[in-house]
Amino acid sequence: MELSTIHSFLVRPGKSDETQQDISGAAVPLTGKLFEMLKPVFVHAETECQHNIAFLPAEDGAQNNECRNALIAYIKNSDVASGRAIAKRLQEVTTRRSGLGLLFLLTGNENGVTKLVVSRFPADSAILAEEKHKTLNVEFLERVFMKSATTYKAAVYSGSSFAKDFWKGKADDKQLANSDRYIADYWIREFLRSDFLTPGQAGTRRFALAVRNTINQSSEPSVKADIAAIQHLMKNMRKQVISPKRILDRFNVADVTRDEIRSHYQGVGTFDDNFTFVPDEFSKHLAVQTIEIDNGAQLSAPTDKFEEIFETEVVNGSTGIVRISTQGRIVDRRLRKGRK
Amino acid sequence: MSDIRETFAKRYADFLSPLAVRLEEHLVDLFRGYPRIDRITARAKAVDSFVAKAERKDNGNLKYDDPLNQIQDQLGARIIAFYKSDAEKIAQEVPKYFRHIESRKIVPDSEKEFGYEGIHFILFVPMELYDEQQPVIEFFELQVKTLFQHAWSEADHNLGYKPFAPLSRDQKRRLAFTAAQAWGADHVFDELCRQTVGGSGRFSGPSD
Repeated sequence: MELSTIHSFLVRPGKSDETQQDISGAAVPLTGKLFEMLKPVFVHAETECQHNIAFLPAEDGAQNNECRNALIAYIKNSDVASGRAIAKRLQEVTTRRSGLGLLFLLTGNENGVTKLVVSRFPADSAILAEEKHKTLNVEFLERVFMKSATTYKAAVYSGSSFAKDFWKGKADDKQLANSDRYIADYWIREFLRSDFLTPGQAGTRRFALAVRNTINQSSEPSVKADIAAIQHLMKNMRKQVISPKRILDRFNVADVTRDEIRSHYQGVGTFDDNFTFVPDEFSKHLAVQTIEIDNGAQLSAPTDKFEEIFETEVVNGSTGIVRISTQGRIVDRRLRKGRK
Repeated sequence: MSDIRETFAKRYADFLSPLAVRLEEHLVDLFRGYPRIDRITARAKAVDSFVAKAERKDNGNLKYDDPLNQIQDQLGARIIAFYKSDAEKIAQEVPKYFRHIESRKIVPDSEKEFGYEGIHFILFVPMELYDEQQPVIEFFELQVKTLFQHAWSEADHNLGYKPFAPLSRDQKRRLAFTAAQAWGADHVFDELCRQTVGGSGRFSGPSD
């Protein structure tokens, strides 16, 4: 899809300011070095923006989101005035810590599908070094806007119907994992008034069920051992933005186990989908661990205390024979249906 | 309209009907173990019903200029709970597991009126339920109701939406009377539930 319009706006920090400063904006020509720099931002936006996000409804639950309205107005008009409304939203949530930024709005249209990329380049300082006649001139530059690897932000939306589409999009925000709530909330929650497409409990439940189905259905002992290790490591995992793929990357899970877990994910992109991990939701679905021994014994205990409750002693390493022991008072006895 | 009928009929057969089956299974799994849920159902909107809605007029003009994209209940689901407080608790759980773009508690406009009541959501279809990169529909409507709200709305829909024979004032009044009785029954049963079983039952979140 060709990039067909570009507008740019200088956005100052204006959060909590009673009077907002005027925002300068301009159309950017579709030729030249700036255009060439922005073209890949537009073309590769879907790849760079890794978080699936969705606009939130109004506070009263109505199907209305002021940021979405502003983006749609811009798509319809493609002019400085409607772009400035978006820049004003950004200015109103920008603190001095986030600082000055240059907002770019990029659109294109092909076969009835419109694409909009919203990106913010943060201001930085830099040194310009110029070599002239074997001498070097160095100069300090302020207000240099860079596609910073740590603070650059973007969002991309596309669709053909304003009724059905433009409710969800993808966002790039390297600061999402920041423990500072303002930094993490600035782009997606405050400016875009959005949240992850997959709510925290839903994403966590999906992961917990994939893990549980893997351990219950796998015939590979190494996979079962890996899952037990994952469960153990997950005990210390805090509430954070993460995807199933990144959880498994973090724990260096073996490919065979990763593939089995992945096979329990349905739908396109669910394995890479980011969500806010909710520890309680995870443990809820994996609350009890049961092991079965080839002599017919089945031992169950709460997953998080399994290792404490049962002591395992290797009797014969080559045959895999172990002795498992525990001690306590019997408080209950149950019968249940067998497998046959 | 014949184009719309044809397009929707294909969408109904190829996409919506199988998706409704998957959605119902998903909801049943999610809410398994919740106390006092009478039933959970999902359905694709019937072709005739969709076409009738697409043809609706507002001040002489068609209400929808792009019905295939604008009508959001092409896929619908219902959770019917025994009592009012159960329905409210279920409604509180829904946004934890589905992203919504709308949530409404529907009650009559005036305190002197009785009529349709229920909690409605417009929710994104969860990603795991479809295989397409860009699904033909993004949303489904979820209604959370009590048994009495559900019973009343079904009968009201059957009797009250007959374009060939508009209801008389007296008939409308009798429908409102039954709505008042359903409302009263919901309140009394909810109170009795709290007094007897104490509203007990696991409400710690959906099961697996």
